[in-house]
Amino acid sequence: MNNKQNPALNQKVSGPYTQKSVVGRSVPRIDAPDKARGAAQYTADMKLPGMLYGKLLRSPVPHARIKNIDISKAAAFPGVKDVITGKDTPGIKYGNWRLFPQTQDEYPLAMDKVRFIGDEVAAVAAIDPDIAEEAISLIHVEYDELPAVFSIDEALAQDAPLIHDDIDQLEGNISIDRNIDVGDIDKAFDKADLILDDKFTLHAVSHAYLEPCAALAQPDVEGRLILWTSTQAPYIIQCLLASTLGLPENHVRVIKPHVGGGFGGKMELRSWEFCAAFMAKRTGRPVKFVLTRAEELSTGRTRHAMNIRSKVGFKKDGTIVAKDFEAYLDGGAYNSMGPTATFLCGNFGAMLYRYPAYRYRGYHVYTNKTPAGAMRGFGAPQALYVTETQMNIAAKELNIDPIDLRIKNAMVTGDTIEGVTKISSAGFVESLQKVAEMSKWKEKRASLPNNKGIGIGCYSFISGGVFNWFNTPYNFAACEVRAYDDGTAHLLTMASDIGQGSDTVLRQILAEALGIKVENIRVTSADTAMTPKADLGTWGSRVTLMNGNAILDAANKIKEKLAQMVSIKYNLNIIHEVAFANDRAFAKAKPERGISFGEAVAMWVKTHRGEELTARGYYTPRDKGLTTPAYSFGAQVAEVAVDPDTGVVTVEKVTTAHDCGTVINPMSVEGQLEGALHMGLGYALSEQFVIRDGKVLNTTFLDYKIPAAEDMPQIESYTIETYEKEGPFGAKEAGEGLAIPTAPAIAHAVYDATGYRCKDLPITPEKILRATGKITE
Amino acid sequence: MALPKFSYLIPKSLKEACIMLAEHEDKARILAGGTDLLIKMKHRTVQPEYIIGISNIPNTDYVHSNHKHLTIGANASLTMVAQNPDIQRYFPALAYAAGVTATVQIRNMGTVVGNICNASPSADTATPLLVYDTKVVIMHPAGERTLALDEFFRGPGVTALESGEIVKELVLPLTSDRSGSNYQKVSPRSKVDIAAVGVSACLHVDEKETITQARLAIGAVAPVPKRVLHAEKTLEGKKLTEELINQAAEISLDEATPISDTRATASYRKKMVDVLVRRALNASMEQIRAK
Repeated sequence: MNNKQNPALNQKVSGPYTQKSVVGRSVPRIDAPDKARGAAQYTADMKLPGMLYGKLLRSPVPHARIKNIDISKAAAFPGVKDVITGKDTPGIKYGNWRLFPQTQDEYPLAMDKVRFIGDEVAAVAAIDPDIAEEAISLIHVEYDELPAVFSIDEALAQDAPLIHDDIDQLEGNISIDRNIDVGDIDKAFDKADLILDDKFTLHAVSHAYLEPCAALAQPDVEGRLILWTSTQAPYIIQCLLASTLGLPENHVRVIKPHVGGGFGGKMELRSWEFCAAFMAKRTGRPVKFVLTRAEELSTGRTRHAMNIRSKVGFKKDGTIVAKDFEAYLDGGAYNSMGPTATFLCGNFGAMLYRYPAYRYRGYHVYTNKTPAGAMRGFGAPQALYVTETQMNIAAKELNIDPIDLRIKNAMVTGDTIEGVTKISSAGFVESLQKVAEMSKWKEKRASLPNNKGIGIGCYSFISGGVFNWFNTPYNFAACEVRAYDDGTAHLLTMASDIGQGSDTVLRQILAEALGIKVENIRVTSADTAMTPKADLGTWGSRVTLMNGNAILDAANKIKEKLAQMVSIKYNLNIIHEVAFANDRAFAKAKPERGISFGEAVAMWVKTHRGEELTARGYYTPRDKGLTTPAYSFGAQVAEVAVDPDTGVVTVEKVTTAHDCGTVINPMSVEGQLEGALHMGLGYALSEQFVIRDGKVLNTTFLDYKIPAAEDMPQIESYTIETYEKEGPFGAKEAGEGLAIPTAPAIAHAVYDATGYRCKDLPITPEKILRATGKITE
Repeated sequence: MALPKFSYLIPKSLKEACIMLAEHEDKARILAGGTDLLIKMKHRTVQPEYIIGISNIPNTDYVHSNHKHLTIGANASLTMVAQNPDIQRYFPALAYAAGVTATVQIRNMGTVVGNICNASPSADTATPLLVYDTKVVIMHPAGERTLALDEFFRGPGVTALESGEIVKELVLPLTSDRSGSNYQKVSPRSKVDIAAVGVSACLHVDEKETITQARLAIGAVAPVPKRVLHAEKTLEGKKLTEELINQAAEISLDEATPISDTRATASYRKKMVDVLVRRALNASMEQIRAK
């Protein structure tokens, strides 16, 4: 396609790396055999001699001062070895935003106040889980109940109770705000022929990871601790656990066993991790906590519910002139990862399209509900649901095809996002063109029968953040590579495989870099005592790019040393490059002049009097703007059938074309896409919390409705390969972004089928029937 | 979540189970598939001291039929009922409902009799069994008694069973060749879900398609799954016209007293009674015509 408005689009997108041997192959997951056999050990599976079982007492009221806690009966109960309340702990607050200590608003156990139903008040460790549960019921707490607020509006009312009255910097219930101002917004709107001004409400949903949170702590006689925990961020847990316990950081060793999903819900220190460690120290015995599904659904982190008002201006030809975007985030009782979501929601309000003027006002609001945190997309699903729905409204109003309207405004490679960064690669237009072709967009829009619809939604996402709110003094990603004379290598990294496949993908990157077989690489990952410092964890879709780059750094150092060996052995002219492939190191121009990888390592070891060949690699994004080193892009088309009488929506087919840079492992990318689609389906249609007076009523998977396997549509997808110069072998993220487009695409298709435009997720059968006049009462 | 403590009793016969139940009264519960009971116990909504496990009593997991009746034994699983050829032929709405109850694993363990004894207003098999004039054979230490299913449900989770009584089997009169029946359900998630509303119909007609007997039952819209007797009477003796369907739907709406809960609002449930009654009646007639 020739794009006259936007000549930058006419270039072909391709990368220089075409001769790869391991990268780009669907290498099976390293963890798959163990998981398929049921042999993989998760934290809940682990048992240690003398281990105690922990259980938490949670607040039954949404907002109260604690008058008194009587633990005497619980402590005297046979089999109970320890009972703790906030008063027994060092009373140190924590939170992931260490750079701004006033945002650290959580205690491991409530000190004098509870702020939501489920807030952790006390913990018991006993010789078996039944005794622990029984003992919990024997703890008597006297509460002095306070007025509570359950919505953004209630929390912002003049006379609203202060939820965090102990934080001096706060005047009301807004914990943090963020402004973005680009261009002269008021002047820009003057140029608009069409102005849309819409209010949206987005709802909270659960990560619904299949493995509930669990932690097991083991003390040693010198007071050091090992914590096995179901986490996405071992280093963050190590740091925050140490600080809340008052220990040096390196007296805490965090090990991540197999983890059954995280999706953003396992990236902070949590009460049970602290309680396991603290009670292990007190009792001298290992202590394990395993949460129930009901605890997860009623008190676990969620995606932020938001109220968003968005005003967008268009010229008659479809050109966007300005956007004024205001978001209120329902944060629940604590900050959790809310500040980051507030930040990213603002950034993503201005993504995908060129906005000459943009204003963002974001407010993170405390309420007496379960805290919202990070969840797959991290502020972007909400922002882009609004953006994409308004693009579809505008297309209708301006009588322009929705895909054409997007192409006209699309961000392209080289575009600058003012105040943020320059986009180093963008396959967005190509994604739009490809998805239109694959889905037969134009033909279907013209020919679908009644009650069937087709719609589009798009996304962009970050490949890791450049921000350092955690305030780590160490590199964002680090690794050690050890090369051996038997031709194998060992990769040690703090990167956390939580089911997304990073152990496999990082192994592929190292195999490609060293030119050895993927099977010849051993991986040790996510053990803070055994792997180089540091790593911020698996979130923000950062692992492939950041850890991949750290691995390339280490591999290059190894290769430089081995190149010397080949150079000496064959007396190579200084202008010769040494290449690594097929388990060999050789002169690139004269491949016969070379030795096996193992021989090269052996030579290096001999010439260094027995020294082991190792190298450390690091990556920290420096001078990469404000948000991320690289953006992914994509477009998705959904086709639905709506039963006009019951309002039930069936998603029949979903077609996706997306740009995640170089695909390292196609099978893994496909898995991410299908998993993301499943989450997007639930977000759009069936998942929601039913909350009454702050209490979650649907606490089982019977009534918290994640889509079933049978609900999955037919799926077709295509990857637009761009080359991202900041990514390892040109790779970008494929983890979170794909969870974004499904809801707006389905909503658009439902509009196409029924005329109902959803500005209030989720799209329920009842909302459709009300919109179509079938239910009036 | 752990199960509370209990003693597990293993009777050798249903009779012995009755005796045990009579002895321990409210402190004992019958366990067949356990798919409802164990969850309630884990959530501490029931805490029996004794569990009387009947799943290994021989010859209780049957589906029998003769030329007049079909009988479903106390331990017949939902899967057995869904897959039984006689049930598929004579009681297609029941076969379908049993096959869309919960998930494969639960259908393999859970029993149809248990589904009835659990007395959930939304039980998938309840409305089909109601429209097939099912009789409940109840055993007690001194003998047996029989009760029509529409007298069996007394409230959410409450049945007509008295102390020492268990359900031995369900008896369904075979339907004729000139009959058609259908179960309709709607739920927030399109598949593998508990019914927000369920409706069953069963029509018998003469050779001129005049309705000789009509049965219509609604589920999850009242404290118990129930027949809409007034609508049944209105349908009988007439031909199934659009207008008659309207009348039946209207009467059913009057009979429905749904609540708003986590699964649906009352107004959505009311609307669905209207939609599903129409669909169930039309589908029943189509089935007759297809024979």
